[in-house]
Amino acid sequence: MDKSMRTLRFFFLAACSFGVFSISVRGGENVKIIANSRIKASAITAYELKSIFLRETNSLGDGTHVEPVLEKDGPVHESFIKEYLGRSDAALQSYYRSLIFTGKASMPKTVGSDDEVIGYVERTAGAIGYVSAGANTAGVKTLEIK
Amino acid sequence: MRTRISRLAWIAVISVIPTMSRAQDFKLFSRDFQIHGFGSQGFVYTSQNNWLTMNTSQGSGAFTDFGLNASMVITDKFRFGAQLYDRDIGQIGKWHPEADWAYLDYRFEDWMGVRAGIVKTTLGLYNDTQDLDFVHTWAILPQSIYPLDLRSSTISHAGVDIYGRIRPGRKLGKFHYTIYGGERRQDPYGGFVLGLASVGLTLHAYGGWVEGQDLRWETPVDGLLVGASLMNQHITGHGELTGSSAGITFLSGLLSLPIGSQEREHSNKDDYYQYYLQYTWRALRFEAEYRREFRNEWVGYYLPGSTDLAVTFNAVSDSRSWYGSAAYRISKRLEVGSYFSWFIANWPVDKSLPTNHVYDRAVTARFDLTSHWFMKLEGHFMDGYGAFDSIRGFYGQQNPNGLLPATNALVARTGFSF
Repeated sequence: MDKSMRTLRFFFLAACSFGVFSISVRGGENVKIIANSRIKASAITAYELKSIFLRETNSLGDGTHVEPVLEKDGPVHESFIKEYLGRSDAALQSYYRSLIFTGKASMPKTVGSDDEVIGYVERTAGAIGYVSAGANTAGVKTLEIK
Repeated sequence: MRTRISRLAWIAVISVIPTMSRAQDFKLFSRDFQIHGFGSQGFVYTSQNNWLTMNTSQGSGAFTDFGLNASMVITDKFRFGAQLYDRDIGQIGKWHPEADWAYLDYRFEDWMGVRAGIVKTTLGLYNDTQDLDFVHTWAILPQSIYPLDLRSSTISHAGVDIYGRIRPGRKLGKFHYTIYGGERRQDPYGGFVLGLASVGLTLHAYGGWVEGQDLRWETPVDGLLVGASLMNQHITGHGELTGSSAGITFLSGLLSLPIGSQEREHSNKDDYYQYYLQYTWRALRFEAEYRREFRNEWVGYYLPGSTDLAVTFNAVSDSRSWYGSAAYRISKRLEVGSYFSWFIANWPVDKSLPTNHVYDRAVTARFDLTSHWFMKLEGHFMDGYGAFDSIRGFYGQQNPNGLLPATNALVARTGFSF
């Protein structure tokens, strides 16, 4: 095999690898968006969701106050931030820190598991979070992504 | 000796805090209240020339800073907070704490909010976060645009910002704007004062009104941000021709004026124009920024005890800076990157002169030891050192035998945030 063919094969395999990686990390369907039951809306746009978690807004279109809660780490967290925020965890943490250390926003609440997210959302007015699709979310509202 | 013991104690603190620090998040008067902090310690070694006012040719750890902030959410729309910041970088800062920011923030709607108080100035990608080592890949940001020694010239203003976010349509991305005005910070412990002292001018005051605006566009192209900033400064200052501690009387000789002559100055024009671009694709991030600073200052000198002008002239400079960078996060714990930073002190002057440029190639590895504790290793390969008033890291006081045209530097930096 000559050099140009080997080069072509390398780029083809690299492209395929990225494709596979891309498919494997798109896990939005594995995540469920939940909200405190006092929030009236039953659906939310991906844009609104991103704006809430990036601390760009703290209210929904109908004026309801919202407060994001994140999981500290894990596959559900990774899946959510990649799918809906378009960032890696390192980039997201840098982003939050650049806000709190310039005074532009507070650090959002962070908890350790699905159960803790559900518990926090259930007892906190306006709270909105994410859990794995299979989690038992009795006591909170599941929001549809428009 | 005392300084060395203090620094060793600080290094011990830097090593211990990351393992135990947690942000404090609690209720105060039924309101959300948060306390956060950060600190960093660096070490710099240069092949030749002392850099950033440290004795780096012998290796220097005089590179420390920290910050502590508290903020409170009063209502959904109203919050306030303040941050204390202090640093000791060679001869800069010298452990004089300052109110880094302290303001009230009222957000009427997403498209308009107001901040009033001491507010970090929005200028380019990183002006307002330049002290926050833990959010950057680099141990030292590109010094062409974010010089450590000129930090106070742009870092904040005491005044008012109006800001907001506008989304004109689903397919047009979104725009973030900031419009501001206020009094810029004076810094008797910064590089500008040091740079002028190196030629025998002791500045007593230097500051004034600034106004500016920034517009950044998160484009519909995923990961692509572009923006532009403009800042106008209206500076007044006064000082005195002195012999420096090293007996430098360069300006006095140049102007044929006696020691003790009084200096006055004000801006005819002092404008910053900055354009920037950031593109993030998966774990790769590309950035480029360009800044032009055009200064036209009226300068006058009075003989000691006289109210008659002895010498007057306009000091005009047109500096241009830019950098391009690429960073790649290999894993959760490791990020690598490189940048190329250009600084031309005065554009119309011969750019090949080492007194008129500083070019810097840097390569970096950042290690995130925990989510709150990092270490960085960085190599710098610099060409040129700029003029005495360039304020880009090279000073006569630390280089009394003159400067050599090339400098290589190794920087190690560790820090924490909580």
